[in-house]
Amino acid sequence: MNRRFWRVGLAILSAVLVLATTGYYLWPRIPPEGGIINSVGVGSALGGDANAGYQRAYQPRLFVFPADHGPHPAFRNEWWYVTGNLTDATGREFGYQLTLFRIALAPTAPVADSAWRTNQVYMGHFALTDAADDRHRAFERFNRGAMGLAGAQAAPLRVWLEDWELASTGSEPFPLRVRAHQDDIAIDLLLDTAKPLVLQGEQGLSQKSAEPGNASYYYSLTRLPTRGTISLNGQMFTVSGASWLDREWSTSALGPEQSGWDWFALQLDDGRDVMFYRLRRKDGGVDPFSKGMLVEADGSARVLRWNEVDLQPLGAWTSPRTGDRYPAGWRLRVPTEKLDLTVTPKIADQEMRLTVRYWEGAVAVHGHASDRELQGQGYLEMTRFEPPVAVP
Amino acid sequence: MTPLFWRALLRHPLRHPWQLGLTILGIALGVAVVLAVDLANTSARRGFELAMNRITGHATHRILGGPQGVAETVYTRLRVEHGIRPAAPVVTGYLPRADHPGQLLQILGVDPFAEAPFRDLAADLTGGDFDLRALLLNPNAALLSEALGSEVTLKRGGQRLTLRRAGTLRGVAFEGLIVTDIATAQTLLGRDGRLDHIDLILPEGPAGEHLATELRVWLPPDLRLERPAERNQATVDLSAAFSLNLTAMSLLALVVGMFLIYNAMTFSVVQRRALLGLLRALGVSRRELFAGVLGEALLLGLAGTLLGGVLGVWLGSGLVHLVTRSINDLYFTLSVRELTIEPWSLAKGTALGLLATLAAAWLPAREAADAPPGAVLSRAHLETRWRAALPRLLLAGLGLLAGGGLVLAVSHTLTAGFAGLFLLILGCALLTPPAMVGLVRLSRPLTARLGLLARMANRDVARHLSRTGIAVAALMVAFSTTVGVGVMVDSFRSGVAIWIGDLLNADLYVASPAVEDGGDRSDVLTPAALAVLRDTPGVAAISTYRALKIELERRPVTLLAVELAPASQTGYHLIAGDADTTWRLFQTGEAVLISEPLAYRRQLSAGDRIALSTGQGLHSFAIAGVFLDYGSEHGRILLDRSGYERYWHDPAVGSAAVFAAADTDPTTLRTRLRERLGPIQPLLIRSNRDIQGITMDIFDRTFTITNVLRLLAILVAVVGVLSALLALQLERAWEFAVLRATGMTAGEIGGLVSLQTGFMGATAGLLSLPTGLLLAAVLIFVINRRAFGWSLPFQVNPLLLLETLALAIGAALLAGLYPIWRMARARPADALRSE
Repeated sequence: MNRRFWRVGLAILSAVLVLATTGYYLWPRIPPEGGIINSVGVGSALGGDANAGYQRAYQPRLFVFPADHGPHPAFRNEWWYVTGNLTDATGREFGYQLTLFRIALAPTAPVADSAWRTNQVYMGHFALTDAADDRHRAFERFNRGAMGLAGAQAAPLRVWLEDWELASTGSEPFPLRVRAHQDDIAIDLLLDTAKPLVLQGEQGLSQKSAEPGNASYYYSLTRLPTRGTISLNGQMFTVSGASWLDREWSTSALGPEQSGWDWFALQLDDGRDVMFYRLRRKDGGVDPFSKGMLVEADGSARVLRWNEVDLQPLGAWTSPRTGDRYPAGWRLRVPTEKLDLTVTPKIADQEMRLTVRYWEGAVAVHGHASDRELQGQGYLEMTRFEPPVAVP
Repeated sequence: MTPLFWRALLRHPLRHPWQLGLTILGIALGVAVVLAVDLANTSARRGFELAMNRITGHATHRILGGPQGVAETVYTRLRVEHGIRPAAPVVTGYLPRADHPGQLLQILGVDPFAEAPFRDLAADLTGGDFDLRALLLNPNAALLSEALGSEVTLKRGGQRLTLRRAGTLRGVAFEGLIVTDIATAQTLLGRDGRLDHIDLILPEGPAGEHLATELRVWLPPDLRLERPAERNQATVDLSAAFSLNLTAMSLLALVVGMFLIYNAMTFSVVQRRALLGLLRALGVSRRELFAGVLGEALLLGLAGTLLGGVLGVWLGSGLVHLVTRSINDLYFTLSVRELTIEPWSLAKGTALGLLATLAAAWLPAREAADAPPGAVLSRAHLETRWRAALPRLLLAGLGLLAGGGLVLAVSHTLTAGFAGLFLLILGCALLTPPAMVGLVRLSRPLTARLGLLARMANRDVARHLSRTGIAVAALMVAFSTTVGVGVMVDSFRSGVAIWIGDLLNADLYVASPAVEDGGDRSDVLTPAALAVLRDTPGVAAISTYRALKIELERRPVTLLAVELAPASQTGYHLIAGDADTTWRLFQTGEAVLISEPLAYRRQLSAGDRIALSTGQGLHSFAIAGVFLDYGSEHGRILLDRSGYERYWHDPAVGSAAVFAAADTDPTTLRTRLRERLGPIQPLLIRSNRDIQGITMDIFDRTFTITNVLRLLAILVAVVGVLSALLALQLERAWEFAVLRATGMTAGEIGGLVSLQTGFMGATAGLLSLPTGLLLAAVLIFVINRRAFGWSLPFQVNPLLLLETLALAIGAALLAGLYPIWRMARARPADALRSE
């Protein structure tokens, strides 16, 4: 009798344990990485507080390279923004974006009690567009700029967030190797220079709104001949094409009256490149601080003022996933240059559904300059009407 | 069955509220003890699971390191070079609260950027007060549980550290937990450059297996890849032996309770045999009568179980603290603040209470059903049957004893050990009535000389065997368990006292205060401090120790790297082997000594080899000998310093033992050392007596729960004596009336009752002594060895035996008081008239 009780007791106890354990492990669904940050909103966590203590962009500066390819930790925000359009031998088209953001949590470094302690945080966005398969995949990462987990250095140039990396292959910044890998997607590309570096705005000072200091230091490499490989679902594609690097650092940018922007980086087959960003005002108008740059085939460049460019949205696309609406294409005209371009996304859904939500994707360009037919491609970024915090 | 039948049957217990109450109390106490232990065990286990899960989270694998943990650079390489994600670094440890002495809080250092897939901390960060910026930047920011308030002050060595809230952890799972950024945890716990482990989530199936294999190849030799679930299970298994012991104790209480219920039910049947015969004559069938008595028992069982449930929950909330404390002393730091009342525990308690009552009532109910209709079953007939059954009882008892002995002899498992133990107890219980008759016969010449009353009392006991036999057997079982457990604890305590006295034979012991607080054990003596110890005049010799947890086939064991002065060597009792050869072999650093529990558990002995994971991967060491050790049930491995430095490359020393020179007073030396060490490193210097005191305190704390259970068993026994003897004496009211009528005074009747109950108490007490000693022997040589692997001396404290005897007789005499008081007030004529 005692033994039976004993067994029954043990059996019941083990059954309870097994049930409890199974239940515990099966119940909660695994949240995505970065959830701790999502849960509190990137706004309160990674930006948005007073500018006091940070350096700001008040006036043009003397750019020094390669030092300025590296980080500027005294400014709050900084990015290395690489986009490009690539094709394989069969003509299959790909677009890619690898952006590494540096975000300072405080203007000065904290107590150095541990190698993990830092005020520098890195955020990365990686996206690949496969036009043939009508697929766009985007990933996001965060890590601290310490312990070698993420960081940036000028010479040799290396900017990395774990195994997402832009790195010089030699002592010169270029050729630059761009590598990123996540899940079943990987890129490994070599970027070379075809045109000299262009300082945007006024000698590299890109004023974004009226308040002094609401500006960034901004330079671009608008045409980087690119070759390498793309791995997708276990398939390897040897690709070539052209990339674009934007470099920008700032502490504050948009004024209270501004609500967002549409940004174009277009590479035309006559050798010219067009950059233009249109700053939207909350009242619906176009902000006069909008501007752009026209880079000639020989590398000479001139600023495009806000009233030199006429932009018309073509249709609208509503994200089936978020319900956000974006223009489905654009007509971009520069009358002074007799340029008339139609910008069409290579696929409609290139929405970046990440901590910061925006649309960024590969676009095809058709049109004419004077009477000549013109083709091209590029990248288009459109923010939602709510301005994300970390980006000016 | 008619209501009349029920009224007739139930009138009896209702007319005897004392008897009824005591029966219910007996059942209630039995159920309460079982339930309380079960609740305490479940709560401790739940607390343990919560503690493990809040650390393990959703990790499928974990990278663990050697003595210093995992170098933090391994994490960077995992993510940057190998792209392994999700991966999360963890630094964890315990620190004592400065303002609440004795309370340890767990620090969990995580990387907020890597954390989300692993632990559900984010889910609890719903409050608006979460400040990621502060958590990352401020060395004193932490996520605190609600109970801790807005700030908490911790102690580390002589330092006080105040942490401020940068977010609130909600939920029971986070009590006693402090979550910080990994940088803060490293600083707080002094783990510069180190992680405790790296958690991974690898995919299920072949892809994950493949990745795990690749990782194992890549990992530096001092690191291992493990599944945390397996590791947690290993720890649960280890504490299972402890909860098994507690459960067995509570079942002993239930066995005692069952005997009492059986006793009570038998009484109620025997007392009503006239009524039962009458009912049969009136046409109540055998089956109805059987069902009636069982139904009555069920009602009693239900009442007792309900009361027992309430008592059990109340008792359980007290026991859970004792269980937790024992677990903390024996196994790992665990904080259980809440009693987890599992419905299963309640169901189990209820089932046990009802089943035990029914089982105990089964035989009496059959007896009732067998009463011949119309006839009053003569008492003489009943007693004759009982006496006739004596040889059968004797045979059955001996058979059970033999069976129990056989089970113990051939089996090796703990469960079989308990089964054998219960068989032995049952055998002893069956032998009690024959033994009682023997005692009555033996004492006859003695009582003959004491006069008429004594003679009457003596014969009465044997004459009423049907009632006295069961009562005495029940009491015997109750008291024998208290003797058995008492002797076991005494033996254990004296074993530990001798062991610790021999082991700690140096004069002074030096260690970091952090170790003393029970917090971080990785604090070490600085080389400068060691040099002072060696060079101080008056120091004859020093021994140094470095303890670290290592894993042996996934079980944690303690590795002690020692540099032993010759005097320290003599403190270790070698169980086998020649001391000279063993120590010579040991000093080469290529051979280890292992503790007895480890040798027992793994079937190892001197001459075997044991593979340990060192700083350079697995290395096989010869086993030079086995030493007596009660320090850890998991096992301890002793390795000479030279071997440790050769294979672990760790020069650190955790503590040191100091022998004073013959001409130096230890107290003077202590003062001298304190002055010299003061400016170099804040260290705690204790005398051997202090440490022995601490050890024995821990021992006593661990066994508090055992003692509480023993007291509960005694309580059940005393209630049993009261109810059994009370019923017996009250039933004899008519007999006493006759005696009064024939001229006996009330005082003489009182003497008679006292003599009888005293004799029965003494019999139960006397018989419980050999049974208790048998029980103790089984507990010491079988149960403890199988559960923990250590051998204990068999030490009997005569005072304990006398106490038990006195308690048995005292309780019996107490039980006689009420019948005597009633007898004195009753008019004999009234009692006679009822006939």
